[in-house]
Amino acid sequence: MLSIKNLQAEIEGKKILNGINLEVKPGEVHAIMGPNGAGKSTLSSVLAGREDYTVTGGEVIFNGKNLLDLSPEDRAREGVFLAFQYPVEIPGVSTTNFLKTAINEKRKYHGLEPMEATDFLKMMRAKMEFVEMDKSLTSRSLNEGFSGGEKKRNEIFQMAMLEPKLGILDETDSGLDIDALRLVSNGVNKLRNKENAFIVITHYQRLLDYIVPDFVHVLYKGRIVKSGDKELAKELEVKGYDWIKQEVEAAQ
Amino acid sequence: MKLHELIKENFQKENTYSVSEKMRVDEAFGIFDKLGIPSTKNEEWKYTNLKNIAEKEFKIESSLKNISDFYSKLSIQNITSNRLVFVNGIYSETLSNIIEKDKTILIDNIFSARKNHTEIYNNHFSKYAKIEGLALNAMNAALLNDGAFVFVPKGKVVEHPILIINITDSVESNILSQPRNLIVVEKSANVKLIEAYYSTGKNASFTNVVSEIYADENACVEHYKIQQQVGECYQNNFTQFFQEANTTINQVTLTLDGTVVRNNLHFYMNGENCNTLLYGLYLATENNHIDNHTRVDHAKPNCYSNELYKGILKDKSTAVFNGKIMVHLDAQKTNAYQRNQNILLSDEATINTKPQLEIFADDVKCSHGATVGQLEEEPMFYLRSRGIPENEARKMLLNAFADAIAEEIKIPELVSILEQEINNKL
Repeated sequence: MLSIKNLQAEIEGKKILNGINLEVKPGEVHAIMGPNGAGKSTLSSVLAGREDYTVTGGEVIFNGKNLLDLSPEDRAREGVFLAFQYPVEIPGVSTTNFLKTAINEKRKYHGLEPMEATDFLKMMRAKMEFVEMDKSLTSRSLNEGFSGGEKKRNEIFQMAMLEPKLGILDETDSGLDIDALRLVSNGVNKLRNKENAFIVITHYQRLLDYIVPDFVHVLYKGRIVKSGDKELAKELEVKGYDWIKQEVEAAQ
Repeated sequence: MKLHELIKENFQKENTYSVSEKMRVDEAFGIFDKLGIPSTKNEEWKYTNLKNIAEKEFKIESSLKNISDFYSKLSIQNITSNRLVFVNGIYSETLSNIIEKDKTILIDNIFSARKNHTEIYNNHFSKYAKIEGLALNAMNAALLNDGAFVFVPKGKVVEHPILIINITDSVESNILSQPRNLIVVEKSANVKLIEAYYSTGKNASFTNVVSEIYADENACVEHYKIQQQVGECYQNNFTQFFQEANTTINQVTLTLDGTVVRNNLHFYMNGENCNTLLYGLYLATENNHIDNHTRVDHAKPNCYSNELYKGILKDKSTAVFNGKIMVHLDAQKTNAYQRNQNILLSDEATINTKPQLEIFADDVKCSHGATVGQLEEEPMFYLRSRGIPENEARKMLLNAFADAIAEEIKIPELVSILEQEINNKL
């Protein structure tokens, strides 16, 4: 589904990604861990198409298409979804109108008619229940005045509505208490199926207790320096990142 | 013939006034003749250059063509309302339509009111809008065309809005029109008014309008101004509200087009416990120049005013915001707030903004501020990352920016017009 080869990127002349290689197949969940400044958020931003970053090398193939050639909106319509670490508050834009536009733009891209208003509202209600989202949140402006937890749940709700093939969760656990973490993880787990895949970016192992990954990768200095299964995450929880850093430095 | 001479010549021809009126117009003409069209040396006109207008040849004449086709296509038609329609400043009886059933509520044109409701006319006409030092007000007073006259008696509520439509038809030549509106709202009466400006024709037009709105104690006035003159259209729009105690005014100005638009919106609070809310949204594109001068006079204690003006500027357009709040010596316990926010969508657009507070009382709460910025990148990326294309995302964000003003518009059809203009132009 997703094939990242030797991906390199920089921001304002500073190299952040130094050759990332990653293969993601349908049905898989990949966790990407790493210390602060390793390039975790850069990777998610580059995949979603944030224009602050310049790709200086490598390629990203998503379902046969060169992802890096596509605009952020086309990436979304192809099925990439980034759950933001810091979802933006947009006063004056209603959640309902925003989602209706997003869904119909995606449908248009795939040659489908816009959704009937009643079908859309039905779908909204169903998905809200599915991810245990409070109904009152969608009647407000997009993320306006939402708590940290509500914003993250809204990201998962949007993901449920847009049904992406690849969901990228960018430090979705940051700033969440244990109840919010459980709700968000439940949402993601319910959305997991054989057709879709997830990249879960996190600093801490605790999210991975709830969203159990098939693969764990450690990102350090813009490279994946170690890969393993969920046991690797547990090892990192106990030992921290220092031993990885030492290993990398020794190898150099 | 330049504008000044045009006024002079036509003024000398004019002889329909009564003796007492003649004194007033003579005085007005004298002031205009002495001051002339303001230049940018005048501090109040520093950023708005009227040279183009002063040197253009205008004619004062009625529309020759049948305007009803044009009129019927205006989307403002969808509002169930009383209508007073003026074409090139001249009252159109055929297009006007009054649906109000209560005959004590007067909805008419100024010339008719001067004849038929002389007492009200004499008590209020030209009592509020100053002409001293204001050349364009004096020019209007000296040689006005016609305009709306509304009188709402004590305790009455006008059920439907009163729509005052001004159309300039410059198909044949450059047109000067000088509408003049007088609105009198008696004690505890209630009215909604919409002033709307349109244009047709390839030649230039200059609309120089003066409105006086008097609100007696406990009266409540909702007032909207919507300016959509397309083509080479110049407009100077002066509105003076005069408020007695316990009055509430909700004023919204939407300037959506115009070559040069200068609004002068003034409020004078002549009694305690007045509430004055003024909101504005201006959309400037291409070479538009939109200038909003507002002035709120807190002359008595315990009054509240809140002002929010928002601007979206594109292309090579320019805009001016100059908001003055005057808190007079005995206006203790005044609450006055003012904000001006602007989004520039191009590097070539310019805004000159000047929020001003002058406070002579010592126990007041006042604040003012202005911001100028671009459309933020992060919300834009957020919307795009959900599959919404860039231009659609921009529209959503600009509509969201305008939303704080749209929320203050209590007539849904006006909100739709605003949204449509944002979507079409930006």
